[in-house]
Amino acid sequence: MPTYELALLLRNMPKPELKTSLKRISHAIFDCGGIIRNIENLGFRPMPYKSTAHGMTHKEANYFIFKIDTPTKAVIDLKEEYKRDVDIVRQRFFKVKEEERKACTLEEELLPPAYREDVQKMIQIGKTQVNRFTYKFKYNSGLDYYPFQK
Amino acid sequence: MKMALFKSFFARQMLSTHQAVLSTIRTQSSNLKPDPDAPVEMENPFKKELKQCILCKLNIDPDYKNYRLLSQFQSPYTGRIYPRHITGLCKRKQMQVEQEITKAQDFAYMPYTYKHKIFLKDPKLFDPENPVRSHRF
Ligand SMILES: [Zn+2]
Repeated sequence: MPTYELALLLRNMPKPELKTSLKRISHAIFDCGGIIRNIENLGFRPMPYKSTAHGMTHKEANYFIFKIDTPTKAVIDLKEEYKRDVDIVRQRFFKVKEEERKACTLEEELLPPAYREDVQKMIQIGKTQVNRFTYKFKYNSGLDYYPFQK
Repeated sequence: MKMALFKSFFARQMLSTHQAVLSTIRTQSSNLKPDPDAPVEMENPFKKELKQCILCKLNIDPDYKNYRLLSQFQSPYTGRIYPRHITGLCKRKQMQVEQEITKAQDFAYMPYTYKHKIFLKDPKLFDPENPVRSHRF
């Protein structure tokens, strides 16, 4: 099962209600055969822009992050279910990718253009193509007329 | 004429003696200890340090939850992301920063059109007035 991260914004409500809605959200994950690895509460804070959900305009929200493992097929159902949930202002799923470490390439990027690999590649491609700035029609090409408009 | 003859004779004499001295040194050198004044093999002491961007040097992976760091790559006037010639990041890290900023904006962690006022006095990682490569505007 792939690892997903679920960023949720819940509307402003008293604590016991928040508890029940969080329970509801996590039970939906368990029902579709998923597991929860971690729940992070980033607190109640003003949103950078207001957003509308279920006919209400929200300027503040409770920020939560769920780290979950679910089957890929279940994600669509979960999204559909959370869309109908009145307490959820905004929900975003995304897949967590493990990025491998690579050496910094800044040294090569700061070289003069003629020494850079990508520029050299571009020059090689340019050599195989017709240069339209210096190309001239050859009148001795077998045609006895100039085939294009002048 | 006499003088010239004498000179050439003297030069020959000198050369022959010199060669003799050299040959004696060569035969002896195998028995002697290594010369302390001989050049020593070492790495180039004038080699410059490898240039690295700030995120690679400090080993930081940009993350949408760390929106305070990401907001340092945002213009305080328009909220747009500074390009690579201003931030001085390598291609890979710049791409990651841009992806994470767009993600954070979509998740309502970060504003689209301005920089949050509590982050305005954060230390500057770079100077937009003095870019690595010149502006095209
Ligand atoms: Zn780098």
